[in-house]
Amino acid sequence: MEIPEGWDLTGKKAVITADRRGWTKYYAGALAEAGADVAVAGSENSDMIEATKYVKDQGRMGFTLETDLMKRDSVNSMFEQAAEKLGGLDILVNNAKVDFGKRFEAITEDEWDILMNFNVKSMFLCCQAAGNKMMAAGHGRIINMTSDLAVRGLWNSVASCAAEGAIHQLTQSLALDWGRNGIRINGIGAGWLTTKSQSEENQKELLVRYLPSRRRGHPSELSALLVYLSSDECDFVNGQTIFIDGGALAHA
Amino acid sequence: MLEALSLNGKTVVITGGGTGLGREMTLAMAKAGADLVIAARRLAPIEEVAQQVRAIGRRADAVTTDATDTESVRLLFKYVIKEFGKVDILFNNAGIVREDGPKPIWEITDESWKIGIDVNLSTAFYCSRAISKHMADRGSGKIVNVSSGYGFRGGRDNYMYAAGKGGIVNLTRAMATSLGKYGITTNCIVPGFIPTEITDPDSERSRQRGRFIPIGRTGVPREMGPLAVFLASSASDYMNGEFLVIDGGGLAGGIAPTGHAPEIPLNI
Repeated sequence: MEIPEGWDLTGKKAVITADRRGWTKYYAGALAEAGADVAVAGSENSDMIEATKYVKDQGRMGFTLETDLMKRDSVNSMFEQAAEKLGGLDILVNNAKVDFGKRFEAITEDEWDILMNFNVKSMFLCCQAAGNKMMAAGHGRIINMTSDLAVRGLWNSVASCAAEGAIHQLTQSLALDWGRNGIRINGIGAGWLTTKSQSEENQKELLVRYLPSRRRGHPSELSALLVYLSSDECDFVNGQTIFIDGGALAHA
Repeated sequence: MLEALSLNGKTVVITGGGTGLGREMTLAMAKAGADLVIAARRLAPIEEVAQQVRAIGRRADAVTTDATDTESVRLLFKYVIKEFGKVDILFNNAGIVREDGPKPIWEITDESWKIGIDVNLSTAFYCSRAISKHMADRGSGKIVNVSSGYGFRGGRDNYMYAAGKGGIVNLTRAMATSLGKYGITTNCIVPGFIPTEITDPDSERSRQRGRFIPIGRTGVPREMGPLAVFLASSASDYMNGEFLVIDGGGLAGGIAPTGHAPEIPLNI
């Protein structure tokens, strides 16, 4: 079908970071469906190989780049290789995230550091490396994947909430610094997602009954917005974190 | 994913669809496949847009409606159900910036306040109330409200618009929370400064305003199109109670004037 205006990524080059949650494929696949070539960067534990399959299934170029997202040298090297093989860099999707839940008083120093490095510092390193190229080109799109934890507290989640809050502010402020450089930075905040089918999900679960939409979402339900925010046409949306959560934030 | 963006077979009702941003959203949804009912107080602008929709190949009916009058609203939806059999999507786009210029609060009349709240807030409530049961009975529907940056921030000598558009914000949340279980999502578009024929894009004032927007320009009405299509389509099914701000970064900054950029060295 003809790609609708606002969703056409034909000729675009994207980098997306991968993790162990297993959702990278939905986003990489959507970028490819819209026409982009995609490099997927992550550790050997990540879901990057499966993600590139989803890219190639759409007939686009897809490849992995083994990267330690917490280390500057590894991140910089990754972007050099990605840009060279892709032939440029238009879109960065900061998707890599590790989940973590623990009562605050029990969190160890190592756990705090690793969480902050993997979830937040990786974004700092990736945005800087990608940004250098985007500023030179005078054009770019960065999308930071985050969640409702960016703007609400949650029990057993101090570290994760602090990390997502940092990401929320990074998104907002970086959009100002780079607003006149042709780069747009936005975020997508996920609500409660699952990849289980609705029949497998416990519909009587208190959490599900609490959500206005009465169901969890699927990661793929974030894809259309991701593609739109990555497009050239989406030029006036900037510094925003847009939540897709079935009404969880509206309710609370 | 891309197929979900199609509006083929969908019936959209949009208030205030004849002018400004409403017109761009109407035309974009028509291009995506929707049939439209365009409602406003004056027939000439909405009939003109309706003709543009027909030229695209979709059906469009222009219906004169005073959305501040609950009887007029009732008749609008009675007409739509009779002619189209259903309503899939409602865009509560009617609103006015100001009847007259900015005034200090002590000069605002009862009449001005009432009109400002009625047109900017009550219209959304009346239209949503009129069609929600129908959507709930069908088990699906989308309601899209239109707020403004002034729904989230104060503006100098800007009372009715701020209070009205601010009311839209929490009305959106209340509706999202209450109607979600019926398969209805309620979301809100929040445009920043996007000059239209009403607010005059060619004025010096509009050009000046661009300098204070983080990306350095004001918006262009046709940028609203893809956003409207996204919110009207099943691609946004899990979005509920959310605010899509399209303002070039205005709401992201704001605690200091543009260009205020302190450089502070790090000293522990």
